[in-house]
Amino acid sequence: MPKWLFTVLVFAKISVKRYFRDRLAIFFTVAFPLIFLLVFGALSNGGGVSFHIGLINQSGSAFAQKFVKDTNASKMFKVDNSVTTLAQAKDKMSKSEIDATLVLPPSFGVPKNGVPSGQALVYYDENNYDAAQTIESVIQGELEGINTQLIKISPPLSVTSKSTNAQGLTKMDYTVSGLLGFAIIGLGIFGPVNYFPEMKKQGVLRRLHITPLRVWQFFVSSVLSNAVIGLFSIAIMLLVASVAFGFHMVGNYFELAVFIILGILSIFGIGLAIGGWAKNEQQAAPLANVIVFPMMFLSGTFFPRYAMPVWLQHVSAYLPLTPIIDGIRMIATEGDHLTQIGPQLGWVVGWTVVIYAIAFRVFRWE
Amino acid sequence: MAEAILKVDGLTKSYGGRKVVKGVSFAVRTGEVFGILGPNGAGKTTTLEMIETLRPIDAGTAVINGVNVSDNPQKVRYMIGVQTQSTAFMDKVKLTELLEQQAAAYGEKVDVMELLRDVNLENKAGSYIEDLSGGQKQRFSIAAALVHQPGIFFMDEPTTGLDPQARRNLWSLVQKINDGGKGVTIILTTHYMEEAEVLCNRVAIMDEGRIVAMDTPKELIQHLLRSGFKKAHHVEQANLEDVFIDITGKKLGN
Repeated sequence: MPKWLFTVLVFAKISVKRYFRDRLAIFFTVAFPLIFLLVFGALSNGGGVSFHIGLINQSGSAFAQKFVKDTNASKMFKVDNSVTTLAQAKDKMSKSEIDATLVLPPSFGVPKNGVPSGQALVYYDENNYDAAQTIESVIQGELEGINTQLIKISPPLSVTSKSTNAQGLTKMDYTVSGLLGFAIIGLGIFGPVNYFPEMKKQGVLRRLHITPLRVWQFFVSSVLSNAVIGLFSIAIMLLVASVAFGFHMVGNYFELAVFIILGILSIFGIGLAIGGWAKNEQQAAPLANVIVFPMMFLSGTFFPRYAMPVWLQHVSAYLPLTPIIDGIRMIATEGDHLTQIGPQLGWVVGWTVVIYAIAFRVFRWE
Repeated sequence: MAEAILKVDGLTKSYGGRKVVKGVSFAVRTGEVFGILGPNGAGKTTTLEMIETLRPIDAGTAVINGVNVSDNPQKVRYMIGVQTQSTAFMDKVKLTELLEQQAAAYGEKVDVMELLRDVNLENKAGSYIEDLSGGQKQRFSIAAALVHQPGIFFMDEPTTGLDPQARRNLWSLVQKINDGGKGVTIILTTHYMEEAEVLCNRVAIMDEGRIVAMDTPKELIQHLLRSGFKKAHHVEQANLEDVFIDITGKKLGN
């Protein structure tokens, strides 16, 4: 083994060992992103659209009771059972706690000419017009289905929807790739921004500066240990995401790992540059925040970039983290191969070169 | 005169237009223990840092074993050992791992237990640096500085902040490393005159960036006496520190 490699490996090995003894570091790199994952996972659970409605049944008919039961069981609707009067419903609608209220009047479902008949009413607040329209057409559809069964005719014209893609993206798929990006930032930027100034203060870097250790050897060993720790953290997140939230990993794990290592390398360079340049925490922390927070929100860590205005999407497309998050999502949830994500790879490599050129230039041992 | 392992000539350093080291020259012979004395701000540490490759040299030269420090700092780094602050080691890393890492910085693999034994810390091998006492930390930082068996060893105020037992303990260690001139050449700075008298073959006294006197401690004292100097008080055969040591004992492991 060449001497430089031996040096680098020993340094990386000891950093990794040290990491696993540091509960605080483990909390911030593993538990912290995991908490975000659990929160976002719980928020977007179920994936599909659903409406909160109030349901007031004024009819005593058997048909109305069955209709209420079916609506309660429906995935489309979450029925707020605390609503019993129209006044309560209006209050809740004005606070947007429920989207609309379905009222079954006393005549609803009362048999007429041998079949149940009547008209259901959808009440809505002006600010929830769209939701009410959707709810109305959904119920309209349900009632029409019942109608055709009751009168036993087959309508000449009909429409039905069919899924074109068995592995369509759920919101969770975007959330997971975004949160992996968040984990990479936490590990790659907040990590070194905290401990580099600390190592300078204690004289750890000064001691290394006296030895023949080269800056690049120190960088390579830091990147290596960071990659090991990052893969560990990300593996746990992916495991939780797929077990608890049905995250679809359709891509190749090896390719995902390669791409994530590249992402860690790139983002860690930002942390190295800031932490390596800063003389103390007072210099490091503000600079890190200025760089990290815009990037975190614009690159799609917490909410997908497609939700942004178009001009902002154009700007945020060129941030260092964006191609990493996009690439992770394309491999993990769309099953792309590294050869298919050329633009993302190109941007990540390009940024990495720029970032490390800066990091080397500004690094200070003390 | 034995061959000089270190030759410093006209060493100068300024910070922001203010000269802190003003043309310092001295030579240290192989096997010597050489002390640099002086008040705070005299330029001792800056002088050492220039020789240790940590600070660029503004003017003058420092040559170690025939290698010019400015021209070839990387080569010099293999030849010198520098005792650093005892805090300069990462927490949550075992002593054995710290030494393994320190040696790896030189591309070497060493017997870490033997190094720990040399400084009486073999029973602390699995401990972290934060679990050591002040004296143990100092001894450990010496072991770390010597992993690559340098011929010349720099110590900057090695006993500052230590209690008397730990200080004496460290003196014996320094003498062991120097081995009566057959071992490592040592250059140290200190505030303690007694320390300089016990350890150093020669001392240089620095003040305001200059060397104002340089000789053996004995010769410096004789010189002062010849000039007619008399101490104001009768000197006791023992002082309070001797009493303290006598009562509490010179223990190891502090």
